[in-house]
Amino acid sequence: MTDRKRSILALVLVFVLALAVAASGCAKATTQGGGTATSSGPVKGGTMSYYIGDPAAIDPYNAQETEGVTVVHQLFTSLTAFDPMDATKLVPAAAEKWESNADATVWTFHLNKADTFSDGAPVTAKDFVYAWNRIASLKTLNTATKKVDPSTISYHLSPVKGFDEVQAGKATEMSGLKAVDDLTFEVTLAKPFGDFEYVVTHPALAPVEQKLVEGGVDFNGAKVAFGDMPVGNGPFKMAAPWKHGQYVKVVRNDAYYGTKPYLDGVNFMEFKDPDTAYLEFQSGNLDMAQISLGKIKDAQTKYGTSDDGYTSNPGKQVLLGAENSTYYLVVNNKDKAMSNPNLRKAVSLAINRQAICNTLFEGTRAPADNIVPPGIAGYEPGVWADSKYDVAAAQKALTDAGFPGGKGAPEIALTYNADGGHQKVMELVQADLTKLGLKVKLAPLTDFPTYLKALGAGKFQIGRLGWVADYPIFDNFMNPLFNTTSTDNYSKYSDPKVDAAITDARKITDGAARIKAYQAIDKTVGEALPDIPLMFYKHHHVTSARVHDFVFSAMYLADFSKTWLSPAAK
Amino acid sequence: MVQYILRRFAQFVPVFFGVTLLLFFITTLLPGDPVALRSGEKKLPPAVYAALRHSYGLDKPWYAQYGDYLGSLSPVHYSSKAGLQFTGPDLGDSISSGRPVVDIFKETYPYTVRLALTAIAIEILVGIGVGIVAAVRQYSIWDTLATLGTSILVALPVFWLGLMLQYFFGIILKQWTGGAFYLPISGASGPVFADWVHLILPSVTLASVSTAYAARIMRSQLLEVSGQDYVRTAFAKGLGGSAVLWRHEMKNALIPVVTFIGLDLGVMLSGAILTETVFNWPGVGLTIYQAIGRRDYPVVFGGVTLVLFVVLLVNLLVDISYAFLDPRIRLGGQAEG
Repeated sequence: MTDRKRSILALVLVFVLALAVAASGCAKATTQGGGTATSSGPVKGGTMSYYIGDPAAIDPYNAQETEGVTVVHQLFTSLTAFDPMDATKLVPAAAEKWESNADATVWTFHLNKADTFSDGAPVTAKDFVYAWNRIASLKTLNTATKKVDPSTISYHLSPVKGFDEVQAGKATEMSGLKAVDDLTFEVTLAKPFGDFEYVVTHPALAPVEQKLVEGGVDFNGAKVAFGDMPVGNGPFKMAAPWKHGQYVKVVRNDAYYGTKPYLDGVNFMEFKDPDTAYLEFQSGNLDMAQISLGKIKDAQTKYGTSDDGYTSNPGKQVLLGAENSTYYLVVNNKDKAMSNPNLRKAVSLAINRQAICNTLFEGTRAPADNIVPPGIAGYEPGVWADSKYDVAAAQKALTDAGFPGGKGAPEIALTYNADGGHQKVMELVQADLTKLGLKVKLAPLTDFPTYLKALGAGKFQIGRLGWVADYPIFDNFMNPLFNTTSTDNYSKYSDPKVDAAITDARKITDGAARIKAYQAIDKTVGEALPDIPLMFYKHHHVTSARVHDFVFSAMYLADFSKTWLSPAAK
Repeated sequence: MVQYILRRFAQFVPVFFGVTLLLFFITTLLPGDPVALRSGEKKLPPAVYAALRHSYGLDKPWYAQYGDYLGSLSPVHYSSKAGLQFTGPDLGDSISSGRPVVDIFKETYPYTVRLALTAIAIEILVGIGVGIVAAVRQYSIWDTLATLGTSILVALPVFWLGLMLQYFFGIILKQWTGGAFYLPISGASGPVFADWVHLILPSVTLASVSTAYAARIMRSQLLEVSGQDYVRTAFAKGLGGSAVLWRHEMKNALIPVVTFIGLDLGVMLSGAILTETVFNWPGVGLTIYQAIGRRDYPVVFGGVTLVLFVVLLVNLLVDISYAFLDPRIRLGGQAEG
């Protein structure tokens, strides 16, 4: 090699090395912390970095998917809350006490007078009235564009009197909402609904300040749209406006009336790909991430598993608790073939759910034996008796349906959206049903929008859907999925007795008695088997070794109230 | 030259109309409703659905929507209240998030540009450099290495390479050196989101395949040119190896390479979806891809408009550069006698 070439090569090598050194110097790692905590107890301070996907909105009026709701839950406090570890326990939140009248149509919430927004303004009943009307109104403006952008989650308020009129455009405010005085908020419902005290736990139903929503929020001398920097009454507040596509940074709200968190703040880092987030977690730059599929056993060995599946501490960092969502096969009850109850039974009994969970999901799903998951108050295992794997019973059911051994059975099409990763599940279902003697074909549709349209038009025999609970109550499954009038009832199952039973159950004010009524409804629907539950979702998340006492509930809500970080971390 | 440039810009207009008109028409055939998609699997109440559709102009026929879109692109607006106003182009609002499309692209496009420019710089420096070395030292160990290396790189899928780089440089290297030396895995690695440092791995990944191609093209072009008569003449005149290389061979050999790199720049500036996803780089690629999935037409059309402009501009720059590389090429078809 000539001298010239040698020196060029040397220069290039030096350049690359210099770049690398500069890179390492600039890249500051957040260290994982001291590992096992030997210190005496909770320590104040530190900022936790938390993985989220892309929120559609962090403004309560449009907080719909889990990402947005996660953030809203930290910025706002709703009227009541449920214990993250026990859904049957409702605790006071923004309301210090509440009661309903005898037939559960009028609810009175007494607000805690210490409750304020993070800017110091007191939380009054008027703020709830304004916030709820904002959700129901068709004329609500988007705070950034000032364009008409009504809420897509107004269904939360459908029990309230006056809701239908507002949604029909005949009124701008719901007649059922009344601010009796600053600290008394009275809600009149159109029909009795005993579970309403659970409905108001939802983070979307939090109070908001009218002047901030309409005028914008002050930040560094400029006005920022409320939707980019919501101001709430929760344990955390926004540190800076939402950087779309990048992060949401919140800091502790020192004006919070309740127990103030130990954490200085939480950085919600937006990741387009959960696998990248898990890599970041392994590299030490993220405190909370979703474990990539295929790596769960590894993670359990490396980081330890949480005892109850929802609380993490150093050494017990992997969270695998059941979530309040069910993955099920939606069956078109109006289809000629699938309207045969015994055929549905046969299909359900033929599916080896455990094998699907093990093969495809490495233990992050559990076989479903009910349409309602375990985190729901009142869940009992095995109530849907045919939602299990029993080949002999499946064969008997098939014979009862008139197709012994599958002879003469019509071909069944399994429809699903090709872009949702459901293909492998459907393939396993197809294999199970073929073993039984049925002819099954896969009929994927290109994407989710196309698929939804087909479902709505009834152009399917068996499809798949997931249902995520809005609140941990039976009604949230029974009513939308099985009530004749519900728009989410894709199976078109219709039983007037069940409809009447749901209406009656909603009238019951006593929690325990109400649960009993729903359990009976659950049993009736389970015997008819309009849909076929497949799996319950489970957490597959992990926190870093410096995080103590972090709770991630079955409702997918993070609870930082007791969380603290090991002191060695920054 | 100026006439040529002006003519090229004029050509942009029919291209733009043709593409957007076609796209608008195709969207009427696409199944899927952006408003219904906002609420996922839970159905929207009919009144809210109607209000949202009206707000986003979706209840108008497609040609009316197209007319609105063209009107909003104009920087000059007339309203009865404020009279004639000069505002920026208004590309509408995203249906899935309600945000102005212009804001979305203002935020994300700079990141895509940064990523693309860095990747192109790597492609130019490394690709051309390796190509030159391989051609000048033909059949030597460097040539063999270059040929092997480029073959391997072309065969690797981009996202796999990215993942491997992340794993090696971000995690394993960090463990080996006890946290002292490593490269950031993604845009979310450090205190500042998507900082310059975080650009290293994504740009290397993005550039990898193209660099391999550029190197090969450079190499084969140089080899071809070095057999030409004028090169032999230059050597006969007494010029040294590197003088011949830089003064005579490179300019001619570069033309196809510049074409390739220019095309590549255009592609990269339209958003590198895979790379941006794997490295969590907040650029335009995933934005447009997600918008397609959500049937978020304003974002898709805004993206297409932006990309059209950029690609046409880049192609124009590439064509202009030919005139500097090869004086025999006269743009505009006025051949020199």
